[in-house]
Amino acid sequence: MKTVRIVALREDRKRLLEHLQDSALIQIRKRDKSAEGFSKVDMTSQMQLFERNVTLTEQSLKILDDYSREKKGLLDSFKGRREIDPDEIGVIASNAAEVMTVCNKIVSLSKKLSDNAAETVRIKTSLAQLEAWKNLDIPINTQDTKSTAIFIGSFPEAYTDESLSARIAEENPKLEFELEIEYSENKMTCAVIFTPISQKTMAEDALRSLGFSRPMTPTSHTPKVKSERLNKRLEEIDRQNREYIETIIKLADRREDIKVTQDYFRIRADKYNVINELDQTRHVFVIYGFIPEEDSEKLKNLCERVATCYVEFSDADDDAPVKLKNNRFAKPAQNILTMYAAPSRADIDPTPLLAFFFYFFFGMMFSDAGYGLLMVIAIGIVLKLFKPDDQMRNNLKLFQYCGISTFFWGLVFGSIFGDAPVALYNYFTGAKLTMAEILPWPTIDPQKDALMLMIISIAFGLVHILVGMGCKFYICFKQKDYKAAFFDTGLWMMMLLGFAVLGVGMATSQIILYIGAGIAIACAVGLVLTQGRDKKGFGKVIGGLASLYDVTSYISDLLSYSRLLALGLTTGVMAQVFNMLSTMFGRSVVGFIFMVLIMVVGHAINIGLNALGSYVHTMRLQYVEMFSKFYEGGGKEFEPFSLKSKYIKIQEDK
Amino acid sequence: MFSNGIFFAIVGASIATALAGFGSAKGVGGAAQASMGVLSEDSSKFGKMLVLTLLPGTQGLYGFIVGFLILVNCGVLGGSIPTVMQGLAYLGASLAIGIGGMVSGFAQGKASVSGIAMSAKDDRNFSKAMVSVTLVEIYALLAFIVSLLVVISVPAIKI
Repeated sequence: MKTVRIVALREDRKRLLEHLQDSALIQIRKRDKSAEGFSKVDMTSQMQLFERNVTLTEQSLKILDDYSREKKGLLDSFKGRREIDPDEIGVIASNAAEVMTVCNKIVSLSKKLSDNAAETVRIKTSLAQLEAWKNLDIPINTQDTKSTAIFIGSFPEAYTDESLSARIAEENPKLEFELEIEYSENKMTCAVIFTPISQKTMAEDALRSLGFSRPMTPTSHTPKVKSERLNKRLEEIDRQNREYIETIIKLADRREDIKVTQDYFRIRADKYNVINELDQTRHVFVIYGFIPEEDSEKLKNLCERVATCYVEFSDADDDAPVKLKNNRFAKPAQNILTMYAAPSRADIDPTPLLAFFFYFFFGMMFSDAGYGLLMVIAIGIVLKLFKPDDQMRNNLKLFQYCGISTFFWGLVFGSIFGDAPVALYNYFTGAKLTMAEILPWPTIDPQKDALMLMIISIAFGLVHILVGMGCKFYICFKQKDYKAAFFDTGLWMMMLLGFAVLGVGMATSQIILYIGAGIAIACAVGLVLTQGRDKKGFGKVIGGLASLYDVTSYISDLLSYSRLLALGLTTGVMAQVFNMLSTMFGRSVVGFIFMVLIMVVGHAINIGLNALGSYVHTMRLQYVEMFSKFYEGGGKEFEPFSLKSKYIKIQEDK
Repeated sequence: MFSNGIFFAIVGASIATALAGFGSAKGVGGAAQASMGVLSEDSSKFGKMLVLTLLPGTQGLYGFIVGFLILVNCGVLGGSIPTVMQGLAYLGASLAIGIGGMVSGFAQGKASVSGIAMSAKDDRNFSKAMVSVTLVEIYALLAFIVSLLVVISVPAIKI
């Protein structure tokens, strides 16, 4: 990685930036302060405008989706972005304003719809309240006449004419009144009460103590007229809503345009974001950036072709980002690595090793020739038909390679859709064959040879761990930290090998056993002598002895690889169970239908469950057992200044 | 009283399948509740949530496999009728994955719930959450392997 400084004339700014964005060669380096004599140009307001437009288009797409769902197939998520010709960008730019008015229209329609929804709720509440007053033939807010005071309102109790009269009389025996009950139900009575105007205050006091309250919706119309009006308004709203929704649905065929415009604004916002970072004077501007070493020549040529400029490279310091470069075989595993952490500058790029072990272990856990073949073929078809984007493509490729490995391990374990070939043969002929009998090569049956397979698994684990430690050794060696390389890593590696020899010796001969034990003891002594080297006095001995305790962590790491056996066995046994279930219904037409059904569904379930399990556990073996031995991570990934779009992909000029 | 051990073998198969399944059911159930909470906010996280939800499901599978292998070996789905002692051996073997699977299923379910909360906050936490949740799995695995080794070697033991 190198740092680059490009000084160019300001009149070329637009052209140069566009070319840089197209080529995705450099990552812009953010600097807190501008260099002396330079200043930054504030483009925030333009940027915000573009970003607002992006948000607006996102909103309108969401609204369109609410009213007219975009038809999406099950496999559409594999589809790559639509490719467009570079010349189309001009067309998109000139259409942008029109598309934005469409978006504005959609958003304002949706706003109106939600306003209407709120009004509908309000009207419905009023209607519900008026319902109690529907028999009243005067307006609810009828005023007092010269001689009579009128009280229209409700009490929080259920009354009849008599009981209400009695209650009022009880409150104030002197009060003269007439009343009419409009509505009465559990806990509510609506009533109209007339009293002489001279007794108005007296009546108010009496009624208040009974919990009298005036209605919430005073209106100068009679309740009947009012409800009719409200109902009419409801109909009106309903008609409006239908109209709005229809308009929105009609606009749904502008969806593609909106998507494209969204990308257009997103790209422009990115560009202005970069302009914000540039050091500028009246006539020149400076771009600071990071660039992978091998691309520097290309960048220089590009800049000199499109602008009058000066390009200068220098060595990057420690905070430079890291770009991973891998061949076709290892590239799919890069995602797995960056999911953990991008490598720091001190790390080596472990992707090739990771890729190999990932494919290997996944295959061992999933271990079925039929499933493997299915993965390879299905992914091949998807890749061919949908042309997915890089990220998705790499993920699919990862599983395709895993599928190849699964296929081979399936052959080793003698498992093709479990024992489907013999299960079917036995079903039709009534024979009692086993897989081992029909396969012409020697197989390992995980059910019978579980112990052996466990030893094999742990042996693979030992290799895996030793490779991880080997990386540590290499890193330390490269940094000229020889003590750490030989004492901290080398001795442990030797010790593990010693244990391995010892293990072989236990099974074979006494001599090998002694040799193994000898190596292990020698390494243990070495560790005791060296591991306390940074401490003083008595601490040296304690530190050395304490380090031997690490042996427990190595043992638990190794035992962890027994999952290779466990998951391999799970896949095989589950497949076998489904085969057994499917052939249980006997040889008849119904039995045959059941057999096909159970086989298809059963194997689909098995693939789903165990592919997930294999993926997760393979990942764990990499992260926990291997990476912990050497990998630091914490680096930053190289993120070039590029056309970051969601829906369209601009074809490269060729 | 018992002339052969088939009863014990079947009890063993049931214990292995049921207890381990109990652990997984509880674990997956809790995780599924948590992930549905997340999905109600953002349904695009379905894939990741599914992975974290299914992690405590393996114990049930292990239990089922031990149960199945016992049935295959003990004369129900093949093999020969075990002696009383062999039947007791099957029963003993099933306890490892039964109890180990159940308890680790509970524990892994709780870890899954936390993992779901963690990756709901930030997608980048997903791989860390996933690995942390699988740390629990090793104990179920060890229990499974003990059960497995016993079950497959019982027919050869003359007791």
